[in-house]
Amino acid sequence: MSSLRDATAESPAPVRAVANAISQYIDRLGTVWVEGQIAQFSRRPGLNTVFITLRDTVADLSISVTCARTLFDGLNPPLVEGASVVIHAKPSFYAGRGSLALHAREIRMVGLGELLARIERRRQLLAAEGLFAPELKRRLPFLPRQIGLITAPGSDAERDVIENARRRWPAVRVRVAAARMQGANCAREVMEALDVLERDAETDVIVIARGGGSIEDLLPFSDEAVIRAVAKVRTPVVSAIGHEADQPLLDLVADVRASTPTDAARRIVPDFAEEQARVSQARERVRAALRRTVEREQAALTALRSRPAMADPRTLIDARLDEVASLRERARRSLRHRLDRAHDEIHHQAARAAALSPLATLRRGYAVLQSEGGHVVTSLGELAAGAAISVRVADGRLSATVDSLHPATPVAEPDESDA
Amino acid sequence: MSDTPELSYEQAREELIAVVQQLEAGGTTLEESLALWERGETLARTCQTWLDGARERLDAAVAADDE
Repeated sequence: MSSLRDATAESPAPVRAVANAISQYIDRLGTVWVEGQIAQFSRRPGLNTVFITLRDTVADLSISVTCARTLFDGLNPPLVEGASVVIHAKPSFYAGRGSLALHAREIRMVGLGELLARIERRRQLLAAEGLFAPELKRRLPFLPRQIGLITAPGSDAERDVIENARRRWPAVRVRVAAARMQGANCAREVMEALDVLERDAETDVIVIARGGGSIEDLLPFSDEAVIRAVAKVRTPVVSAIGHEADQPLLDLVADVRASTPTDAARRIVPDFAEEQARVSQARERVRAALRRTVEREQAALTALRSRPAMADPRTLIDARLDEVASLRERARRSLRHRLDRAHDEIHHQAARAAALSPLATLRRGYAVLQSEGGHVVTSLGELAAGAAISVRVADGRLSATVDSLHPATPVAEPDESDA
Repeated sequence: MSDTPELSYEQAREELIAVVQQLEAGGTTLEESLALWERGETLARTCQTWLDGARERLDAAVAADDE
C-alpha cells in the first residue's frame, strides 16, 4: 500500500486503500492525555460502546470519544454532561464510518461539571436580581397581529413554528428575524433580531426557536447578555429551544417556555377549529338552557291555567248554584214536613172531636131537649105545660109541645161504700 | 292592551300562583272570586306573552344562524 502516493487520476486508489492507510497512520500516533468538557454523551442500552462529545474548554470545537461501557459505568461519581475531564485515549480511525474518535482507556474527572456550574452560578445571580420573577411574566395575546420569529432561516424550527401556527390559525402573520442559532455569533445575532422585532409595533409576541442540540450548542441561550436583553423587551417572549435535560436560562427569563418549536406554535395562536367549536358549543348550551327554562315555565303556566279554578270559572258559580239548590231543597223539605205534621194534628183533633161528640149517645136512643131559647133542658123546672121544645135525635130534630109535667120519685143514689 | 306588560314574568307568575291558591281556598264572596279569576286570566296572558316572546327570540336567533 506504500504505492498510494503513486495513484493518479488514471489509476486511482480505492476507498478501502485510503481508509486503511489513514487507519494505519493514526494507529501509529499512540496514546495521548487530553483535557476537555463532556458536552454530551450517548449511552444506549444494548450497546457496549458509549459515545461522548468532548468539547474544548476555550475554542468552539469538539471531538468524538468512544469508551467501553464497563469503563463508563465504573466511574464514580458518574459522568455528567458538562463535566471537565482528563482522558487517556488512543486516536482511532473507524474505517466503517470513516470517522475519527479518541478511544478512551481511562477517564479522570476534573471538578464536577464546571460548565453546568458556571450556568448555575449565573442562574443564581440573575435570579437574585429578580429577572426570572413570576410577576414579570407577561401573558401572551389571545390572537397576535404578528408573530416575530427569531430562528435560523430554512431550519426545521422555522418550518415547525410557521406550519403549525398556520394550521391552527390560517390567517396568522409571521415575521422572521433571521439569526444563527449556534456558534460564536449566535448571541449577538439573537440580540439584534430581538431589537428589530421589539421596534416593530405590529409584533405582539416574539418566539425564539431552535431544534434540539447539545449543551455546547445551547450555550448562547444561557448567555448573560442574551438573558438581559430578553428580560428588557416589552413584547412577550416565548422560548422554544428543544432540549432534554438541562434547560438554558432563556427558558427561565422567557414569559412562556415551550418545549419544542411545535409546542410554541400551539401556545402563540389559538386553534381556529377548536375555538370555533367551543363558541358553537357554548352557544348551543346557552340556547338549550334557555329552551329548557321556557319549556319548564310553560309547563308550570299550563298547569296553573288548567286548575279547575282557572280553567272553568263556571265551577265558581256552580258551587254556589249547588249551594242555592241544596238550601232550597232543605227549605222545601222542612216546609213539607211541617205541613205533614199539621195535617196529622188536625186529623187527630178531628178524631178526638168525633169521640167527644154526643152523636154516638144520641144513636143509642138518647135525645136532647132544648127550650125555645136553645137552652138544654135538664130539669122540669125549666119548662111549663104548653111550652114549645125542640128535640135533638141522632139523625135530626123534631119540634114538640109539653103536655104535662111529672116530677119523678127521687131514687136513692147508690152508696159507693156499699159496693 | 289589557295585559299588564309592566309586570316581569316572575312577578306575574308569583301573583298568578297566589290568585289560584286564593280561589282554591275559597272563603271569598262571589264578586271577589270573579274579580280574582279575571285577574288570574290577565296574569296568565302576561306570562304567556313573555314565554311566547322568549321562544320567538330564540327561534329567530337559531334561524339567523342557519342562514
